[in-house]
Amino acid sequence: MSKNGVNVGQVADFPVGKCRLVKVGDVEIGIVRLANGEVHAIRNRCPHKGAPVCKGIVGGTWPPSQVGSLDFVRDGEVLICPWHGYEYDIKTGVELYQDSPTRLRKYQTTIESGSVFVTI
Amino acid sequence: MDTQAELTEKRPAKAALRIIDCDVHPTVRGGVASIYPYMPEAWSRRFARKNTTMASIALTTKYQHPNGSAIREDTRNAQGEVGGSDPHQIIAEHIGPNNIEAVLLNCLQSGAFCSALATVDESIVLASSFNDYFLNEWLSIDRRFRYAMAVPSLDPAAAADEIRRVGRHPQIAAISVAPINVLMGNRYWWPIYAAAQEHDLPIVVHPTGTDSIYQGTPMSAGGIPDSYIERYVTLCQGAESNVNSLVISGTFEKFPKLKVLFAEFGFTWMLPLVWRMDRTWRQLRHETPWVKRSPVDYVHDHIRFTTQPLDEPHDPEDLDRLIQLMGTDHLCFSTDYPHWDNDMPDLSLRTLSPADRKKVFFENALQTLRLN
Repeated sequence: MSKNGVNVGQVADFPVGKCRLVKVGDVEIGIVRLANGEVHAIRNRCPHKGAPVCKGIVGGTWPPSQVGSLDFVRDGEVLICPWHGYEYDIKTGVELYQDSPTRLRKYQTTIESGSVFVTI
Repeated sequence: MDTQAELTEKRPAKAALRIIDCDVHPTVRGGVASIYPYMPEAWSRRFARKNTTMASIALTTKYQHPNGSAIREDTRNAQGEVGGSDPHQIIAEHIGPNNIEAVLLNCLQSGAFCSALATVDESIVLASSFNDYFLNEWLSIDRRFRYAMAVPSLDPAAAADEIRRVGRHPQIAAISVAPINVLMGNRYWWPIYAAAQEHDLPIVVHPTGTDSIYQGTPMSAGGIPDSYIERYVTLCQGAESNVNSLVISGTFEKFPKLKVLFAEFGFTWMLPLVWRMDRTWRQLRHETPWVKRSPVDYVHDHIRFTTQPLDEPHDPEDLDRLIQLMGTDHLCFSTDYPHWDNDMPDLSLRTLSPADRKKVFFENALQTLRLN
């Protein structure tokens, strides 16, 4: 434990595009490194029905579009719950494209000397 | 517990209710020959040679009404003609006594031809002929007659042509699209929706009598019903599929002014359906990303249901509880006159508040139909 939180591993331990689970105390947390280098920490519990959300797909999604056409956006920045498919913006933790979105519990991360620290 | 009739006596209406009846069924008196003057001679000769009739809608024995006819015997006029065939009788017996300001005439004979009984070409000619018959022989009699024009469901391009031919008539208030086994969200229907939107006319869908009998009509889910009762009870299944299809296919994104009125499918099934649609959309939204809002919102903004046939829970207040859950925005009163299962205004929905009755019996229809 440093002033920056708990050291959960080297940056290189967290491959881009994967959500790797770590434990901080009793709390299970998914660590995701994005292509732009940001590292995000997300509690492994979907606010919808308690699923282990961090075991879901990390990918992109198809935003609202015209009838019959598909766009694809946010590649690598969306976490999709493995149970009921709720889609979350990894950067903000907010459920995508909903008027009353649910929100993931996120924790602050810092990178120091090549290590990832999580503050809970 | 009180029946609706007992409730009516206990709770007399405090103020006159303004009423629009969104489902009344006219019958062409004299059979198909009556519409011969409204079609080219080559076609009338063809129908005459074939002995085309429309005395019945060709119901199979197992789906014939157990009491002989779905049309009330007591609606015959003084000459003994079948109920719904005499416009003056409808005025004298139904519109006048019930103080109805407008009735939507929806002819099921043309619906049956357009869904299944005729060839595609025949149905195009018949739809036009039925329309001209009603425009000429009924609508001029009384402004309270409003008409759901027929279109050939089997040829949407021809249907759109027909809408553009007569759709501006001031007493045409809707387009009656006979259901077939193509769900309503399918782009097959787009020409009709485009023309409907152009003319500010809602689509009305209603069972035609051919349902679950002929290939090409909407079939009951799970198997073939074995009796009139079984078929009757399952007719709403097609409406459920169509509400779902319209919303999830993005129809209302493509046609943002389109309105659809589901007539005679009831409505008590609507709430669990939209709950299921909403839940599943939220979870798998990206499969159909053109559905940009909750399905609940699309249904609220674009789809209406006529009230008849009202379900009758043992405690009538239960129906009120359900309506409070779903809200009264979706409902448009209808009688289904002159059919056996009609709901008359005085004896319908007496548990609703006066403000809700006003919406259901009048205001919602005013906002749904094109009533010039």
